[in-house]
Amino acid sequence: MLLVLNAKNRMKDREYIENLIARFLNGNCTEAELQELKTWTKTSPENKKEYLSIKDIWDSANSPKENTEEQLSIFYKNQYEKIKKSRLLWIRYSSAVAAILLIALAISVLIPQKSTNQTESFQVFSVPLGSRSKVLLADGTAVSLNSGSELKYSSNFSADNRLVELTGEGFFEVKSDKEHPFLVKTKDFNVKVTGTQFNVCAYDENNFTSTTLAEGKIELQIDGSNQNFEITPGEKFELDRKTRKYTLGNADIESEIAWKDGEFIFRNIPFPDLLQRLERWYDVKLNYSDAGLQKFNFTGRFKNQETIWQVLDALKLTSPIDYRKTTFREFTIIYKPLKQN
Amino acid sequence: MKLLLLLYIFIFQITMNDFNNLFRKYHRRLLLYSLKYVESESDALDIVQNMFVAIWENEKYKQDEELVKAYLFSAVKNGCLNYLKHQKIVKKFENETSLQLMTMEAVHYQSGERSLIEQENMKQINDAIDSLSDIYKEVIFLSRFEGLKNHEIAEKLNIPVRTVETRIFRALSTLKEKMLQKSFFILLYLKGLGSIVK
Repeated sequence: MLLVLNAKNRMKDREYIENLIARFLNGNCTEAELQELKTWTKTSPENKKEYLSIKDIWDSANSPKENTEEQLSIFYKNQYEKIKKSRLLWIRYSSAVAAILLIALAISVLIPQKSTNQTESFQVFSVPLGSRSKVLLADGTAVSLNSGSELKYSSNFSADNRLVELTGEGFFEVKSDKEHPFLVKTKDFNVKVTGTQFNVCAYDENNFTSTTLAEGKIELQIDGSNQNFEITPGEKFELDRKTRKYTLGNADIESEIAWKDGEFIFRNIPFPDLLQRLERWYDVKLNYSDAGLQKFNFTGRFKNQETIWQVLDALKLTSPIDYRKTTFREFTIIYKPLKQN
Repeated sequence: MKLLLLLYIFIFQITMNDFNNLFRKYHRRLLLYSLKYVESESDALDIVQNMFVAIWENEKYKQDEELVKAYLFSAVKNGCLNYLKHQKIVKKFENETSLQLMTMEAVHYQSGERSLIEQENMKQINDAIDSLSDIYKEVIFLSRFEGLKNHEIAEKLNIPVRTVETRIFRALSTLKEKMLQKSFFILLYLKGLGSIVK
């Protein structure tokens, strides 16, 4: 009877302490109740263990708001604020950020360029009408350019890669290098040399494209054909641009290349050629209408000190022509046959 | 400036993988752990944040995960105890006894005991809750997920507070059994493996 009562009491005690724990965890415990709980946990290690394991279950069944990502952003934000405070670190990190951006920028700029890089960039050297100029290329080659000429070469031009394109007239003094030939491209033919002095005349508006060799040896290949020519000093190769016919013969080197020293020498050249040269030389326009003029050949020598007026006056004295100024830098040449009485 | 901050966060979010993984894996569990001692959720969050700052600065996150994990939990616990000490000073802790209970708990875990929060992942605990019978699941749901106090649950379910308390304790006690059983099975399984190997 007593045992049953004891057991009942224990049951009641047990229930009481269970409820007390539940009240402590999720209710309103009075200070006195807390004391009771504390005393109970202290009475035996089992009690303490039970209390702690129940509380641990309670704690692990908790469900605070799911906010890990938000907290991670807050973490970085705090780091950022901290770094902002310490200037040095700030500079270090911002330069890191800047470096990353720069790299990204460089990549985005370089990658598309790589595909178009095949069309390499060019340097163009052009000489206005009425003046002349001299260019010294990276390989040591000197090029004198006549009035209204253009020399184009790749930005990769070097002693190993000697290729230039010419429109107009140029006199080349090529630095000798047998390993790496020097190549001059014109619209009509390519000239390949290793080390020589030669003149190339390839104006767009001319009927003929020509090259004259002063020294050494050159190889010439006409565009769009397999024809190769070897030219020896003193020879001039001339290609008729319309008929694609060529002539190769001896030339008057002196008059051909005198221009590079500021001299203007012409020997027995047809009137239209003379006008064209003068036009280019002085940057003027010379018109004529009488076909009778075309049959005259001219010979002369100017030192380029003369003005266009003096040149025309000289021509007027030595040949049956007259001239009139029409507008600014434009003249008309008139044929005045000598009256034979 | 806002943009720079976002860029900064973005860069770290994609570059600091070791740290980010650690943060994502343990943040919630550390928060639960600190809520053992700290009632206020925002204070608990601060404690966890500060602990991660320390991890970031001493580059502990680069070490072996098991070591880091042990370090994380003990660091959070120490953080909480410091917080409590501070509270005791500033507030003269109204509830001396509850502080004593907490200190007892902290000493317990200091002795090498490991909390379920440290041992198990949250899924296992949630699974155990799901397998409870309905009347137990109900009180756990209302108290732990809805945040209702015992007397509120009593009102809601129209039962005496005492019954709510009883059900809560029984629910927790059943959960404890389930978790123990599970680890018991794991133990058996490992022993079985051991004998097979032999």
